[in-house]
Amino acid sequence: MLVLFETSGGFALFKVLDEGKLSNVEDLGDEFSSAESARRGTSSKGLRKFLKNNCGDGETLAVADSNIGNIITEKLDVQCVHNNAVMELLRGVRSQLTELLSGLDDNDLAPMSLELSHILARYKLKITSDKVETMIIQVIGLLDDLDKERNTYAMRVRELYGLHFPELAKIVQDNILYAKAVKLMGNRINAANLDFSEILADEVEAELKEVAVISMGTEVTDLDLIHIRQLCDQILSLAEYRAQLNDYLKSRMNKIAPNLTALVGELVGARLISHCGSLLNLAKLPGSTIQILGAEKALYRARRMNHATPKHGLIYHAPVVSQAAPEHKGKISRSLAAKAALAIRCDAFGDGQDNTMGVETRLKLEARLRNLEGGDLGAFEEEEVYYKDKKKKADDEEEPKTEEPSKKKKTEAELETAKEPVKKSKHEGVTGLLILIFLIPLIYFVYVNQLAC
Amino acid sequence: MYIIMPSGRGGGGSGRGLARGGEGGAIRGRGRGRESGPGRVKSRESESGGIKGGSKVLVTPHRHAGVFVAKSKADALVTKNLVPGEIIYNEKRIFVQNEDRSTVEYRVWNPHRSKLADAITTGVDNIWIKPGVNVLYLGASSGYTVSHISDIVGPEGCVYAVEHSHICGKVLMNMAEKRTNVIPIIEDARHPAKYRMLVGMVDVIFSDVNQPDQSKILGLNASYFLKSGGHFMISIKANSIDSTIAAETVYQMEVEKLQMEELRPTEILHIDSCEEKHACVFGGYRLPRKQKADTAV
Repeated sequence: MLVLFETSGGFALFKVLDEGKLSNVEDLGDEFSSAESARRGTSSKGLRKFLKNNCGDGETLAVADSNIGNIITEKLDVQCVHNNAVMELLRGVRSQLTELLSGLDDNDLAPMSLELSHILARYKLKITSDKVETMIIQVIGLLDDLDKERNTYAMRVRELYGLHFPELAKIVQDNILYAKAVKLMGNRINAANLDFSEILADEVEAELKEVAVISMGTEVTDLDLIHIRQLCDQILSLAEYRAQLNDYLKSRMNKIAPNLTALVGELVGARLISHCGSLLNLAKLPGSTIQILGAEKALYRARRMNHATPKHGLIYHAPVVSQAAPEHKGKISRSLAAKAALAIRCDAFGDGQDNTMGVETRLKLEARLRNLEGGDLGAFEEEEVYYKDKKKKADDEEEPKTEEPSKKKKTEAELETAKEPVKKSKHEGVTGLLILIFLIPLIYFVYVNQLAC
Repeated sequence: MYIIMPSGRGGGGSGRGLARGGEGGAIRGRGRGRESGPGRVKSRESESGGIKGGSKVLVTPHRHAGVFVAKSKADALVTKNLVPGEIIYNEKRIFVQNEDRSTVEYRVWNPHRSKLADAITTGVDNIWIKPGVNVLYLGASSGYTVSHISDIVGPEGCVYAVEHSHICGKVLMNMAEKRTNVIPIIEDARHPAKYRMLVGMVDVIFSDVNQPDQSKILGLNASYFLKSGGHFMISIKANSIDSTIAAETVYQMEVEKLQMEELRPTEILHIDSCEEKHACVFGGYRLPRKQKADTAV
């Protein structure tokens, strides 16, 4: 039997003679195969070559880790053994390592171990320092700054050009389009000749050309126009930069907090993180705090004056909450905040990079929203009700379930004209229920009257 | 002559620059350790905690090799600094002048921060850590105790510090860069197979992981790395194991678990002075029994 032993200097293979004595077969050479792969339990090329050269046929190989044993068996067809006896063997080897390995001295091994440990540790630590969320916080701040700047510049351009062509400001509302139009036009005299179709809609363009002729504005010199054009360039480049920054933020958020991003979106997620200063701080907060993060002023004022506290803070802008009807916003934001707390903790403390948890939770929340908005009819819509521990059912299993409730309804509605199935739309569903509610007492009275007659 | 330097010098950054007072009028001590005459000391600032600056200090060796005691108004445990001039974080240092005018630097070891120091001050029989041994330290955290152990074992010994957390790991790595006898390992101590290529056989395992399965962790690491006849120390925080039952019961349970892993406890010490419901268990691994002969492996 051969024994595979890993040291910081490389791999060593020992041959076990009978009676538990060890004899040295192969030395290390300078086989510095990656210790990282030994740690993870994969086999590197060097190890494979080494083993291939030295393992005879029919030999079993004793390994320290069953993972690496499995891999070796797969790749090299060498039988691997890992049990208590092997562990004892390895202990012995480890104690007598310097004597068993001819070329190795006590003093040689120590600095090798030291260096290797530093390399490994640095490797481990470096991986996680990719998840630096200070970038996120700065980027969000930058986005806000950019927006402010853009707005200021756009206002300025309107003022400047408004001296020359004031009507344009009313015709073209959008800042970017205004800047583009100004850039293209320059002097309003050119408006009649130029084609604005890429920038503006047709009616707007026609209106523009009309008004350009009869405009009340003053004349501007070419020098002025140059400056105005430069300002427009600035605005457009800012807009472009902002779009790039948005993309950058998206990719960063997906890396740093994938579950949170899946749940509330990049912007809201980034704002939450920047509000708390770091992902770790955010992870320590309970769901109730996350719900009203960003609405602190309203919160404390309400507490002081004994009013109702705000229902949502930054969370308000999350897609799930903004899609909800006003009467459901509070409930959904509470549910969202609770799930968001879990997602954040998943991201902050978990190892994985995937966002499955966030995606699944998002679906559940949307189902809950639909349930809420469906109102009381939620009881009939089995597959959409939000169960906490809902297990995934097969599709055909759901079918008979939906058939049943509709059958039940049909029997109730036999006395009335045929009703549409509730599933169709919530509006019709509500109407259906109302009809039902009014129907029962009606039927009862009719019946009673019949009896009375 | 003994001077106590308050923190903030050398590696610290608190900016309390202080001229070393009293150097001019130094009285030669008769060497460190054994016969230490009283020294005159002048120090500008005083600090909270055990020793106050400006007090007269005697440094004598402790019963445990490698550890020293600094006696003054309040006694303090100190170790000889392996890397003179460097402090880990804001601990006080004591300077002793030898006959040949070389200074020896000692660092104060705070029992409130370190369980091992706590155990020593409570009066443990044997810590098994002495100059020249190899120590495996599970749960190294930021490396405070590790640094003192590295002081004790000296340049011939070696400390393998295992810590899973990345935040503490960074601090540990910085500390290990200065001290060449500390080998930092950023891994989960539950899987010693993952760092098996970094560690040789050790003489002592020190475990301060505070996990509910810490006995098993210790047993596993011992089976990998602890030599037969080696020793261990494990610090047990009763609330980490089971916060609902009495501390005494917890300690008993842990002791039983250890015995199942061939770790024979020889001492159980309650270190309640600094922290509640803590105990330290010292013991041996595969200690030779008188009847059985050791089978050579």
